Amino acid sequence: MNLNELPPLFDEHGRCMPANLNAPALAQSRRYFGITTPQIDYAAIHARSTEHLGGSGILVDEFARRCENLMHALRADSRTHGISKGVAVPFLLPRAEHADYGEALSQRYIPAVAHAFAQAFPQYSFTDHNKNVMAGQLGIAPGSRHERLLQAMQQGPVVGCYFPCLSEYSLPAALERVQALPEQFLLAGGYDTSAALVGTPGLLQRTDGYPPLLWLAAVQAEKPLVGYYYEAYGYNLTFNRRPHFGQAAEYWNSGLTVLG
Amino acid sequence: MTTMAQDTQPNKLTPAELAKREGLRARKPYVADKLAAITEMEERGEISPIIRLEKSYLCNFQCTHCSAEYYMDRHQKKVFKIKDARRKIDLDDIRELSRQADELGLARFVITGGEPLVMKDFDAVVEAIDPDKHYVITDTNGWFLDDAKARHLKSIGVEKVQLSLDSMIEADHDAFRNKPGSYKKVMRAIDASLNAGLNLLLSTVLIKGRAKSPEFLDMCRFATERNVGLYVSYAKPTGSCTEHPEFVIEKEDADILRELEKDYNVFTHMTPTYGSFKGCITVKGIITVTSTFEVTPCPYIDFSLGNLRETSLKEVLARGMRNPWLGPYRPDCIIGEDPKFIKLHTEKTRGVTHLPVPWGQGFSDTDTLTD
Repeated sequence: MNLNELPPLFDEHGRCMPANLNAPALAQSRRYFGITTPQIDYAAIHARSTEHLGGSGILVDEFARRCENLMHALRADSRTHGISKGVAVPFLLPRAEHADYGEALSQRYIPAVAHAFAQAFPQYSFTDHNKNVMAGQLGIAPGSRHERLLQAMQQGPVVGCYFPCLSEYSLPAALERVQALPEQFLLAGGYDTSAALVGTPGLLQRTDGYPPLLWLAAVQAEKPLVGYYYEAYGYNLTFNRRPHFGQAAEYWNSGLTVLG
Repeated sequence: MTTMAQDTQPNKLTPAELAKREGLRARKPYVADKLAAITEMEERGEISPIIRLEKSYLCNFQCTHCSAEYYMDRHQKKVFKIKDARRKIDLDDIRELSRQADELGLARFVITGGEPLVMKDFDAVVEAIDPDKHYVITDTNGWFLDDAKARHLKSIGVEKVQLSLDSMIEADHDAFRNKPGSYKKVMRAIDASLNAGLNLLLSTVLIKGRAKSPEFLDMCRFATERNVGLYVSYAKPTGSCTEHPEFVIEKEDADILRELEKDYNVFTHMTPTYGSFKGCITVKGIITVTSTFEVTPCPYIDFSLGNLRETSLKEVLARGMRNPWLGPYRPDCIIGEDPKFIKLHTEKTRGVTHLPVPWGQGFSDTDTLTD
C-alpha cells in the first residue's frame, strides 16, 4: 500500500487522533481547552534557550533552518500534514548527559523555565508546587521513545519541535498512541517540554479562555498512576505532580516531540 | 514581582492555622484524624467532599443573587402556585447521611439553606450530624449572630461560620441583600464569631467587573487585616441570578482575582490550598444534599446525582466521579464559566417546578461533552 493512501494521523486542528487504543482518550474534542498558536521568533527562542539552558554552539540561522525543514517534512507527508495545523513550539537543548533524570529536571530544567518566565513576565510568578524529591525517583516510560532524545543530547545539541497534540488522552493512552506513530515521533518528557517553555515562556498564557495542562507523559514517576506537569494559574505558570489514575480528561494534554 | 516560589503561601500552614488544627485535635481527635487523611485519600483516588446540607430553605432575606430561591416554598407558591409535596428530610435521614459519610471517610458538613439560624431545629440538626464525627460549619447572613448566639454555636459543636458580605459599601450590601441594616449585623457577627472562638470565613459573590472595583479591594484589605479568609463565589446563572445574566463573570475577572490571592487572604473554591489542587470542586470537593434528599454536585447545579432514599451516598458519588462534566480535574468553574454547560443547564432547568432535575433527566451515565 502506498503510504500516502493511509489515513491521516492528525485532524485539521493538529490533534493526534485517537485510534485503536485500549487506554482511555476522548474520541471527540470540543476544543474548549486550547493553546493560542504562538508567534515563532527563532532569534528570541534561541536567545532564551542560550541564556537559561546554556550555549549550544548552534547559530540562530541553523536553528531556524532545521526547524523549518522539520516542519516542511511533516507538511509534505499526507499522514502527518495535519500536525502542522496545530501548535508547534521549536526548542533548542544544549549537549548534556545526565546520570539522574529527576535531579536534572529539578535542578536544571525547571529552574530554567522559572528564570525564562520571570524574565518574560516580571509581573507574574512561576511556582513549583511539587513537594516530592525527584532526584533518584524518575525514569523514562518504556515505549515512549523518549530515550532517543536523551541519546541525541549526549551526542550534541538538539533542535526539535514540541507539539502539544495528544489532547484529551490519558497518560497510558498517550504512551500507547506514540508506539503506533511513525518513528520520528517521540513522547515528550521533562527536558523537551521544559525547553519548549524556556523558548516560549508564554505558551500557556491566555486571556480569552483556559489552556490545557501539559503532562510530562514520557516521565515515569516514583509511583504508578502519578505524573508531573506544567499548568497555568491565571497568567502565572506552575509545576506540579498529581495522580492521574489512567483516566482521560478534557483538560489534559501530552506532547509529541520531533527532532530536526 | 516574579519569583520562583517553592510552595509559597497556599501550601504552608500559618502559625494561626497550625494552632487551629492543634486545638481541633485536642478537642475532637477523630475529626482531626479524618481531616488529616484527606490528602492521602486523594492520592489513592478517593474523594472527601464537603457536604452542604439544605434541610430548610426558610430565609429572612431575599437576596438578588440567591442560588436557593427556586427551591423555596415562597417561590413555588408565588411563581408556580404550587406547594411542594415531596417528602422532606428529617433528623433520622441526617443521622443516616452522617453515618454513610463517616463510613466513606468524609469529614465536613456545612449547614446551609435558606438561613440556618432561623431553623428551630438547628441544634438538633448539629446533633444529628454529630460534631464529634464531623467538622460542622454553618452558613449565615449574620442577622441573628450576636455574642450569645455565637457562644451557643460553639458550645453545641459548630466549628466554623461562613458569613455573607456582599459589599464594603453599606448601602450596596443592604440593597444587594434587600435587607436594610444587614451590613451592620454582619459587622456585629464578625466580632461575635471571633470573640466566641469560632473559625470565620467571609463569603462574597463576585459579579462581572467587581474584581476591578475599589470596593472589592477594600474588602480584600478588610478581611486580611482582620485575619479572616475571604471566600469568593462567582455569580452563577442559576436561582435568582438567572434573571441577571450580566452578573456572570468572564475569565478576566477570575484572573484578576487570582492575582489578588498573592497579596490578600482571598480565595475561591478553585484556589490551590495546602497542596490540594482540585480545580472545579464538583463532587471532588463538594456536594449538596437538598431538603428532599437529592444530591447535587455543587450549590449552583440543579441536576441531581440521585436520591439518598433510593441510592447510597457511595454510588451517588461514584456517579458524579464518572460523569465527564464533573469527575475530571479542570481549572474553571463549569456552571460559572463554561458556556456550553451553562446553556445545557439553563435549558434543562427552565420552568422546572421541582428542583433539582432528577438523575437521568439532567445528568446521566450516558452524558458526553460533545453532544
